[in-house]
Amino acid sequence: MNLRAVHQSLIVAAMLCALSACEGGSSTPPANGLPSPGDVAAVPVGQLAGAPDEVASALSTVNPYGGNPQAIQDGKALYRKMNCAGCHAYDGTGNMGPDLTDAYWRYGGLPIQIYKSIHDGRGKGMPAWGKALPPQEIWKLVAYIQSFGGSMPARDYRHAHQGDTHGENVAPELRGLPSPQPRPSGPTSKGPKT
Amino acid sequence: MDLRAPTAGYARKYVYLGAIGLLFAMAMVCLPLRAAAHSAPAATQTAAQTAAPVAAAPAAPGATPPNDQRSLSGATFNTAPNDPPGEWHSQARDYANSRYSTLDRINAGNVGKLRIAWTFSDGTLHGHEAAPLVVGDTMYVVTPFPDIAYALDLTKPGASIKWTFQPNPSPTAIGKACCDAVNRGSAYADGLLIYNLLDDHTVAVDVKTGKQVWRTKMGNVKTGETMTMAPFVVGDKVFVGDSGGEMGVHGWIAALDVKTGKELWRAYSTGSDKIVRIGDDFKPYYRWMKGKDLGITTWPAGMWKHGAGSVWGWISYDPDSNLIYYGTSNPGPRVPTQRPGDNLWTSTIFARDADTGMARWAYQTTPHDQWDYDAVNEDILMDLPIKGQMRKVLVHFDRNAYAYTIDRGTGQVLIAAPFAYQNWSTGMDMKTGRPIINPDKEPKPGIKINNLCPPDLGGKDWQPAAASPRTGLVYAGIFNLCMNLTDHDVGYLPSTPYDGMQMKRHAAPGGNLGEFMAWNPATGKKVWSIKEKFMTMSGALATAGDVVFYGTADGWFRAVNAWTGKILWSQKLGSGVIGQPITYTGPDGRQYVAIYSGVGGAATIKTDKSLRSFLPGGGTLYVFSIDGDTPGMGTDATLESTRASAKP
Repeated sequence: MNLRAVHQSLIVAAMLCALSACEGGSSTPPANGLPSPGDVAAVPVGQLAGAPDEVASALSTVNPYGGNPQAIQDGKALYRKMNCAGCHAYDGTGNMGPDLTDAYWRYGGLPIQIYKSIHDGRGKGMPAWGKALPPQEIWKLVAYIQSFGGSMPARDYRHAHQGDTHGENVAPELRGLPSPQPRPSGPTSKGPKT
Repeated sequence: MDLRAPTAGYARKYVYLGAIGLLFAMAMVCLPLRAAAHSAPAATQTAAQTAAPVAAAPAAPGATPPNDQRSLSGATFNTAPNDPPGEWHSQARDYANSRYSTLDRINAGNVGKLRIAWTFSDGTLHGHEAAPLVVGDTMYVVTPFPDIAYALDLTKPGASIKWTFQPNPSPTAIGKACCDAVNRGSAYADGLLIYNLLDDHTVAVDVKTGKQVWRTKMGNVKTGETMTMAPFVVGDKVFVGDSGGEMGVHGWIAALDVKTGKELWRAYSTGSDKIVRIGDDFKPYYRWMKGKDLGITTWPAGMWKHGAGSVWGWISYDPDSNLIYYGTSNPGPRVPTQRPGDNLWTSTIFARDADTGMARWAYQTTPHDQWDYDAVNEDILMDLPIKGQMRKVLVHFDRNAYAYTIDRGTGQVLIAAPFAYQNWSTGMDMKTGRPIINPDKEPKPGIKINNLCPPDLGGKDWQPAAASPRTGLVYAGIFNLCMNLTDHDVGYLPSTPYDGMQMKRHAAPGGNLGEFMAWNPATGKKVWSIKEKFMTMSGALATAGDVVFYGTADGWFRAVNAWTGKILWSQKLGSGVIGQPITYTGPDGRQYVAIYSGVGGAATIKTDKSLRSFLPGGGTLYVFSIDGDTPGMGTDATLESTRASAKP
């Protein structure tokens, strides 16, 4: 039966994850060009006072699968298979869980912030998927969510870091704030093959 | 005497209560004979006539009923546990779940003068589905998440806060509740206020101190299980159940000891006869529900373990038979093609022995439910003349849009008639008690079905109906909804929805989304109805003043003539109404009507954007009296002066 097949493949996936180090956390960057676990770890939960400015560099991390049509299709399949649709609705507009198509993000709408929310889970019921899904699957889910159009582009990381809205003006008095450069060696949109 | 002064003292209060008692006694003597007969705390509400006609013609809409108007159904019910007429100790007020009050100072003649007496904002914004309780001089309210309880002192002008109890449930529960982080209220018993927390705990609070007396963990919120229903107390036992029909939970009802919170028994809704608590006494009326371990064998192997059947609705009780009645939720997953079989005992009404929990009979309203038609809605226990014979029945408006009048001794369906628009069935086989399914409306994964009615929310959801022994009618807020549905296969992943229904809901023919109706349970016919623009998702209240109260999702609170359905009074509140109205007598002798305003719950679940453009949430209790008169109102600042001007 289809149902049991899904269930078993999940258990197998979870066991494989437990045996390997696929949930991340090691400092060695994955060989396949994915963003480093260190950058993911540096991303704070939402907009925290006291968070160091250096995190802005991690925030600028681009989803290697962003805009990749095959990855978006894979992400859509995962979105359904992992029951994301049960909470966030089949069209992403939210139900038990928040709307993923609008511009409001409790824990940040940058690709790496969305990754972090999926990986770590969130306190109002969002399960942590870091154990059940390897990083490339989560990045594909992020690519699918980005395709809804409500997320923030990684290049706008500075606004996102300060809880501002994409594209808004900044008053001159606020322009003197530290402005770290995006990571020079950061992954680009070419990403790994899927 | 100014009771606002903290030194007012108890002695004064007793003098004051004595005076109120005297006023009451005088009122009883002065009331018209007819009203007095119905206000008396008799064990059983009886209609004025013993041989009531089964199908009297309904009064013309808008007409004023003559004084000798006879009950339209001849229905009566047991008013046990016979709480004081001016108080409200449980969500449904009585074991029969009538939500009927014998108070009649507010009546069809003066209800047009209802004005706001006082309000209370509880600081929470999820859907407010509970009724407040009134015990003695205190009102108790329970908020949605974070499930705070407040005691409000009705002897003080403005009903000041006596105590606040904050149980601090886990925020994880918010994202596990299918239909908003709601709470359907508390129950009072033996000095305790008992209610459920969204994170699967039942708590008992000392009503004098506001301190927790016991707290029992009933489930694990990490599995997706939550608790939203109102506990139901009979004697030394309190009955509670779980929520999570969309989360693949293993549904149950349990009895706890009122004094200690210790679990006495638990009956699951699926699985072996042993854990469902089915034994030799179990005698379902219909043959297809007889057999061994049907809670296992009517499922594909092992799927009963996540088959839901949660118990999140109402419980009623018949003191004569010592049976409790309640319903179970939809089966899981919501995609029916994954679980061929009847999927017992989901979408089922159970009768169980209150002491042992052993099942006496069961009736599955929607075998192999394919549309999310839970059977959790209230079962109102009435005694009805049907075909010239008095029958002890339960009246149940199911999510599947059929109104059932069922023999509550045997589980035999006496009447099953649609009360809302539906097209999932073409009728009811009264011989087998099974609905006849419309094959065009059976979902298959990946295939879109348009105009399937009613949708998952049903022809009526949990919002409870009220019954009046004077009119013999039952009053309910109902829906007029359909959906376009596409099912998707799903797998069970703990803590995620076991769901698979992708849908868009819309209005059924007529265009209105809601309706408030009066139903004759002896004939299975609608007597009158009021169409509402939005889903009518509030509870109902019926009173001896021949007034019925209900609210709308767009914030109107209405009083209606119980005989004719004529709207006598409406007041726009701050937010939509999905709560349950009550009425009570204040320490000042006045009759009050109270209702929570705070839309949410299934009325606003986010897939229904077209249906929820009405109002933002809220969390305010509104209390009404004639002319808004209440202690401390306007320049009339003291209870002393208010009492002197009270008109019995």
